[in-house]
This record gives sequence, structure tokens and C-alpha cells, in this order.
Amino acid sequence: MEQPDPIIHQPVRLKIVSALKVLPEGEHIEFVRLKDLVSATEGNLGAHIATLEEAGYVAVEKDFVAKRPRTRIALTKQGRRAFADYIAYLRDIIDAA
Amino acid sequence: MAMSLSSKEAAETLSDVEHASRRSALAFGYRKASPHLILWGLVWLIGYSATDLRPAHAGLIWLVLVVTGCAIGFLLGRGGSGAPAKDSWRVLGIAAILCLFVGATFTILWPVSGSQTGAFIPLLFGTIYAGVGLWLGTRFLITGVAIVVLTLGGYFYLHEHFLLWQAFVGGGGLILAGIWFRTV
Repeated sequence: MEQPDPIIHQPVRLKIVSALKVLPEGEHIEFVRLKDLVSATEGNLGAHIATLEEAGYVAVEKDFVAKRPRTRIALTKQGRRAFADYIAYLRDIIDAA
Repeated sequence: MAMSLSSKEAAETLSDVEHASRRSALAFGYRKASPHLILWGLVWLIGYSATDLRPAHAGLIWLVLVVTGCAIGFLLGRGGSGAPAKDSWRVLGIAAILCLFVGATFTILWPVSGSQTGAFIPLLFGTIYAGVGLWLGTRFLITGVAIVVLTLGGYFYLHEHFLLWQAFVGGGGLILAGIWFRTV
């Protein structure tokens, strides 16, 4: 990869994908938990998740639990591949030095 | 972030990635363990209380509770949408191995009193939690150490009320630990 993936190559989105990547495939994380994990504001996190969703890197599920809205996010296969490629890109730079 | 990174920036970014992944994995582990701690806290609460009331039926009480606890634990493990089935079977396998270990231990230590039995199993689980905590997170370690200390304290200083101590302090403590794990 000569240039990094511009979708992942952004600090907050990289944190989001890094946090999601360690979950087993198909596992979700709730929006409120992710907000704490990446230390982002609700609006900021929402905007970055929308960008990742548009790119097909995350899947967003919205439902209601005990009449309260819940948003859950999971990394897609495409997102996992993109993350792996990005890590390989970083390692290439480090190895080349 | 600039589109071209220096090796120093790449190393820093990789370190940030690892940090975020570690935090997430830790939180995920706690979240997964939480309902199991609450479940086994309830098992202890019911089991030790019932044993205190009906010591003659302790074997049957614990057989029913442990089998029920394992079955519910298995279902909890399968509850996550993406939870691999093999992981739930592994957990059941670990439970079976531990039951065999406890059975084998009591066979060579026999005869053992009700209090010794009631202390040994929590000590075993406390030790396992503490050991696992070295890998999975401090809260496991603290929970394990607390179980061991409270069990030993109750065993040596509260002979007559040891089973009730285990029910409310041990079982209640596990339930509280499960709730604590959910706050991560």
C-alpha cells in the first residue's frame, strides 16, 4: 500500500476500528461503551461511525431495549481486511526505516 | 494525520492501535464474565443458605444447583449473536474437568467436613480468578483475592455461621463483582 486508506487513516476512526477489531466476528459493541473506549463526544463518534458505515467497514444495528434506543456497532469483513492492510502499511514503514 | 508517515509516526500510531485494542479487549472480557459472576453468586447464595438449613441434603442441593448453573452458563455463553458454539462447549468442558478435580481431591482427602467442602471450592475458584486476572485484568485478580480472603476469614473466625457467611458475603460478593464488571 503506497498511501494509507483515508477512511481508517484518521485518529478517531482508527481507534474505533482498533476497538472493534478485537471482538469476535459478529460481536457488537454498544455506542455508549464505544464512546468511552475511544474518548469521543457523541456527535463526533456518530459522524465517524457514519463515515465507516458508508465505506462498508462497520455495520450499525439500532433497536430498543426496555423502550430505550440502543445502537450497536460491529466490524464487517471488509473492515477487518482494511484494518489488516492498514496495520501492514504501518509495519512496512517501520521495517523500511 | 498526514497521508505520509515517518517511521516514528508509524510506530506511535501502531502503539495507539494496540492501546485501543487492549482497552477494548479488557472491557469485552469483563462484559462477558459479568453475567456468569452474577449467576454463580446466586448459586452460592442459594446453595450455602439451603445447606445451612438442610445440611443432610447438601449433596442433592449442590448437584441440582451446579447442573442448573452450568446449563444456564452454557446458554449465557451462546447468547451473544456471534459467540462461537465451540467456546461454550469448552466452558462446559472446563466445568467438567473442575468437577472431576474436586471429586478426585475429596477422594484422597476424605473424610472432609461440610465446612471444609464449603471452603475448598471457593478457595479453588478464588485462586483461578486471581490467576486469570494476571492476564485478563485487575478486577478478576481483586475478585479472586477477595474470595480467598473472605473464605479463609469466615472459615477460621465464624465456625457456626460459616455457611451463611459464604451465602451472603461470598455469593453476594460475586454478584457485586459481576455488577462491578459491567461498569467498565
